[in-house]
Amino acid sequence: MSIKYGRDTEVVHRLRPEPVTAREQAAQAAVADLDFEIFQHKMQMIALEGKETTMKLGASTAMRWGDVAFGVYTAQGDLAICATGIYHHAVLSQLPVKYLVKHLKDDPSVGVRNGDSFFYNDPFYGGVHNADMGLCVPVIVDGELVCFIGAAVHTGEAGGSEPGGMVNGAKSRYDEGLLVPPIKVGENFTLKEDLLAMLATMTRDPRTMILDLKARLAAARIAERRVRDLIADKGVAFFVGALRKVLTVTGAAARRKVAALNDGVYRQPRFLDTVGPESQLLKINLAVEKKGERITLVLDGSSPLLPDRPLNTYFQGIIGLAMVYFCGWLFHDLPANNGLLEAIDWRFPEDSFVNAKGDVPVSYAPATQVAFTQGMFMAGARMTYATDPSRAVGAWYTGFAVTVFAGLNQWGEPMADITPEINATGAGGRPGRDGVDCAGAFFATMSDCGDVESTESDRPFLYLFRNFFDNSYGHGKHRGGSGVGFGLKVHGVPWVVLGGMGFGSHFPATLGIFGGRAAPPAFVQTVHGSNAGTLLRDADPRLPNSMGALYGRGTPEEGQRGYGNLAAPPSPFSEGDTYYVPVTGGAGYGDPLQRDPAAVVRDLRAGRCTVQAARDVYRVVVDPHTLHLDEAATEAARTQARQDRLRRAKPYAAFEREWERQSPPAAILRYYGAFPDPAAPATGQDRAA
Amino acid sequence: MGFNVGIDIGGTFTDLCSVGTDGRIVTCKTPTTHYDLSVGFMRGVRDLARRSGLSLPRYLEQVEALRYSTTVGTNALIERSGPKLGLITTAGFEDTIFIGRGRSWADGASVHEVRDMATIEKPAPLIDPDMVVGVRERMDCHGSVVMPLTREEILEKLQTLVDRGAMGFVVSLLWSFVNPEHERLIKQVIEEEYPEDYLGAMPVTLSSEVSPKAGEYTRTMTAVVNAYIHGIMAQELSRLGTELRAASFTKPVILVHNTGGTKKVSRTRAVLTHNAGPVAGMHGAARLGSLSGFRDIVFTDMGGTSFDIGVVAGGELRAQDFIPVIDRWRTNIPAIEVKSIGAGGGSIAWVNRLMDGQLEVGPQSAGSMPGPACYDQGGAEPTVTDADLVLGYLNPDNYLGGDMPLDAEASERVIEEKVAKPLGIPVQEAAWRIRRLVDARMGQEVFNEVALKGHDPRTFVVFACGGAGATHACGFAPYIGARTVVIPAVSSVSGAFGASSMEISQVWEQSRTIKLFRYDRQEYLADLGAFNGVVETLRGQALRDLRLEGFGPERVRLRLDLDMRYGSQYNLTKVTAPSLHLTGRADVEALCAAFTGLYSRVYSPEAAFPAGGINVECFYLTASVIAEPPPLTSAAAGPPDPAKALSGSRPACFDPAEGPRATAVYDWTRLKPGHSLSGPALIEAPDTTYVVEPGWTYRMDELRNGILTRTDA
Repeated sequence: MSIKYGRDTEVVHRLRPEPVTAREQAAQAAVADLDFEIFQHKMQMIALEGKETTMKLGASTAMRWGDVAFGVYTAQGDLAICATGIYHHAVLSQLPVKYLVKHLKDDPSVGVRNGDSFFYNDPFYGGVHNADMGLCVPVIVDGELVCFIGAAVHTGEAGGSEPGGMVNGAKSRYDEGLLVPPIKVGENFTLKEDLLAMLATMTRDPRTMILDLKARLAAARIAERRVRDLIADKGVAFFVGALRKVLTVTGAAARRKVAALNDGVYRQPRFLDTVGPESQLLKINLAVEKKGERITLVLDGSSPLLPDRPLNTYFQGIIGLAMVYFCGWLFHDLPANNGLLEAIDWRFPEDSFVNAKGDVPVSYAPATQVAFTQGMFMAGARMTYATDPSRAVGAWYTGFAVTVFAGLNQWGEPMADITPEINATGAGGRPGRDGVDCAGAFFATMSDCGDVESTESDRPFLYLFRNFFDNSYGHGKHRGGSGVGFGLKVHGVPWVVLGGMGFGSHFPATLGIFGGRAAPPAFVQTVHGSNAGTLLRDADPRLPNSMGALYGRGTPEEGQRGYGNLAAPPSPFSEGDTYYVPVTGGAGYGDPLQRDPAAVVRDLRAGRCTVQAARDVYRVVVDPHTLHLDEAATEAARTQARQDRLRRAKPYAAFEREWERQSPPAAILRYYGAFPDPAAPATGQDRAA
Repeated sequence: MGFNVGIDIGGTFTDLCSVGTDGRIVTCKTPTTHYDLSVGFMRGVRDLARRSGLSLPRYLEQVEALRYSTTVGTNALIERSGPKLGLITTAGFEDTIFIGRGRSWADGASVHEVRDMATIEKPAPLIDPDMVVGVRERMDCHGSVVMPLTREEILEKLQTLVDRGAMGFVVSLLWSFVNPEHERLIKQVIEEEYPEDYLGAMPVTLSSEVSPKAGEYTRTMTAVVNAYIHGIMAQELSRLGTELRAASFTKPVILVHNTGGTKKVSRTRAVLTHNAGPVAGMHGAARLGSLSGFRDIVFTDMGGTSFDIGVVAGGELRAQDFIPVIDRWRTNIPAIEVKSIGAGGGSIAWVNRLMDGQLEVGPQSAGSMPGPACYDQGGAEPTVTDADLVLGYLNPDNYLGGDMPLDAEASERVIEEKVAKPLGIPVQEAAWRIRRLVDARMGQEVFNEVALKGHDPRTFVVFACGGAGATHACGFAPYIGARTVVIPAVSSVSGAFGASSMEISQVWEQSRTIKLFRYDRQEYLADLGAFNGVVETLRGQALRDLRLEGFGPERVRLRLDLDMRYGSQYNLTKVTAPSLHLTGRADVEALCAAFTGLYSRVYSPEAAFPAGGINVECFYLTASVIAEPPPLTSAAAGPPDPAKALSGSRPACFDPAEGPRATAVYDWTRLKPGHSLSGPALIEAPDTTYVVEPGWTYRMDELRNGILTRTDA
């Protein structure tokens, strides 16, 4: 199907490598083994240089802290070489390029020439949300289009009806800001000032928009020079063949890896507790079917399309986030490119929020996508445990406790972005060891959460604390890595807009595996008209210095206090007002009763675990003052706990009967679909009612 | 007669180099004595004296300067043998060093390690969590006091650390680099409570003094690392000083800094000694290069396990966009970057069956123990050195001057079994592929390092040092695009040679945001007081410090570098200021133009965005003592014919399709300046083997350096 205006629903299905052309076939057959091995390393060097340059020059939070994907695409648009830690871009960033090849390359009004540069951010092609913006340049040698080079990076402000790229209140995609399918923003190695002005004008932070765009371009130009040198040395045919061969080899390797796993169906339903502006229940019904050389992701039975809420995701976004798990955990020893999808199939229901259609809003899609990916971790742990237990790890925290802000900073400069603590989550517990405390973000593995001083230098905040949040992780034989909590005071400006994006305030988002516990739910505390400034001036010793202290000991802070969901549309906060956010930890692995008591004591001493959790979850008995372990009492408490479990136990059929009678209140099932199976035909007998 | 001595302690060998005022160079190597580095040190100095024909006391009396790059501090970090420290920080931020910006698990880890997300791990901390206390205090980004600090608060927290056994304190508070008042108050209280003349006195390290730079994680870790290795280094250096004094050396020992300069032990911060050896090597390359008119140089050092890369542009060593990782800790010192990749003679070749039988070299290494299979020390994996041996490049009976016999059959056996058979190719072709692959990787990494600093690598001259540098230089240079390679005569002791002539120099730094061009008003900075004030403060510190070393201002050269950025960019571009001070609008515009000019050149004009605002974020004032090193002895070049140095011939393979061909072998010790020859040829030196590949020529210059020139392309 060819479509001139609007959306091309055909091209977005072309996630796997394009069929090999005769040119590619012949060229790839002529590539010698050693030359190919050397080529791959060189291309990786080029991509790394591009990635580092993009990071250096960009300005948005995501760029500053490393959330960058840089790659080289074949002439057909497949991403063969990619340097990134955000692996969804390893399969998603190709779609705008394929759109460009299909619609613009041969269009006489646009065309593709050396010196051109193309910008895009329409999530229909990018797969995630408007804030993910990309730029690519073509490389044409002797009249032949040999490749594209591009960078995809999250720019924290996309001009939606709320700042920060994810719009809680979006009712259609037209509330979500910039929607740009690939357009030519530069010709003859020069950016077009009129288009830059348009893009800058349509967002709240024009400077960051332009700096990020130029960063992508500068990196692409440097990589273009390297590619041209390589082609001059080895010839066009070699380059075309070797680039294609990377995809071929990767696909075969992925199939080999998958073949080594046990066949089976691994189910992991996932639930979300928000649709943006209100608390509602949604279901992602994930089944991972592994057979032979292929893994099929099946999402039948997921909640229906959300006509006016932004949690919808395009199906390709789900595939993209599956790649996060595959590239970082399962295929970590293979190149990250869309050749990996040669081992992956998928099946999506037609009417579902995991397969967005039409004009529905999608800017919250990352939340749905990370919830899905956590399901991949959980299903993956069971799929790999028997063959390679080192892969069987608990899920990291979603990261979606994101604080968004907008306004003028203390220097009078416009700004709109998110805080970097999205990259401060804990990792899941693992076989033989705990999850890493504050490990980063699982979907952006090269990113970090920066320094408080860096944020305060040009954002109008004073952090009241940023420390580990004790018990913020899932307990287990091997506990999840701890998350952090932080408190912000608006500082140095009359007011600023603050809000939140996320889910998991009503029930845990990050579930344990193999008997491990979930990481706890998280919520936001706000205080308007706060006296925090006075308390600081008075050096009041009661001021909490961690999230644990805030909720454990209490606080002398006064004002109009509110508690809210992580998902919160931005609203104005005055100077001195405060905002407290937890970014929690990873899933627990294994039964907490099997945790080494010495490890519990270590956590107690380090402040990563409370005495209550030691007592009630781990059944570890310590002297509350000295924290010395009482081994005998611990053993007795654990024996007792096991006996209690046996007493509570009941036959599965009895459990099932009880379970089947339970249902959430009807008020939160408005978007869920039929309960319990969202895809079941409506019966007219709404059990919840 | 006087001598300038450089000593570089490495993992395996301690290298020494003595340069006489007559220009004569004497070198030696001695095994590093890890149990007590001074043992190897003194043994080496004795050897230098002997080779110089003097008794130790007589030799040491004539030593004008003894410059030393040491790994004592690094070893203490790796072995976690430092003291129990207490960290005092701002309350609410006690976990900063454990949070480690989230991704501290990746700092100091290899590319392969960071790719496998299932097995990542943060390093064991240098300070336990229960040894960190927060004091209630707070500054904001302007250095204004938001929460005052009280003496009572300090005393209470101090007592906690003392009760837990603190042997020293690190103090690192938020924004202390802008306003250090609170850090200084804490130090004052500690010193009052634990005065120096009492046995309980404990050292105090302030982050605002060790690293007055923005970014609390790196600033704190810089202070922590410094405090952690300070005591151990002080002890070691004190012991060494005692031994040297006992042997009649009366001058102070001078330490080589990773910033590219040297300072007396008494004026050196421990953290600045980390990885100083390769930086000294870079300095040596710069010095030799300047004698031949080479100003753009890439220094390489290929050893058994790693390949070091350092960039010398315009004849100078400069820190540039670099966050040094010491062991596993991100720091903020203005060090010269030396990139180290896992490629060397011990790198293991293997066949990646998952990737369709692709050949790989590394990242695993056989190291020096068990080492390559040919070392006959139990190594059972094929390595790069095994490949060199199979190809005929190395002489099994004359490796390292005959000190280490090699087992050629073992090399053939492992390459046959582990590479040739699985790939279905002959052994010699397998060896050739191993070598080509590792050479390509090294060359490509060098290319990237030079390119990332904004230079065209193809215009650079390669200095190839280390035991395997001369063997592989012709192999990796083409991947850089380089046409000229220099193998210094001192290539196996390049760090010691470089150290012997490094000048007294130190970098004085201070983070401070100055908006030279304001985005919100679109106008240039008018009030120049803040900028000039920072420069004056740094200048005062530098001149005072050097006066204490005995150098007046007339002998001091100053250079101002600035970290600059557009608007809210995170990363910074280092620019050398056209002038030390700003005297008016024209100077501000000139500085902005210098930044935009450099930025455009490195990243393309399309990337520049002056309208986004131009900030200075950090000042670096480098103060160096002007000193001319003594000239090196050179011999006039003679006729080019090297026939008298020809020691034989052996089969060596340069193309598996052709197979081995008889290749001339020369004795390096018999080659004379002016001699030149064309590849293929092999030159056996006591410490390395030169492989002159077909398409390359070799010439020995007046300083006995080997100049390899590519002629085939």
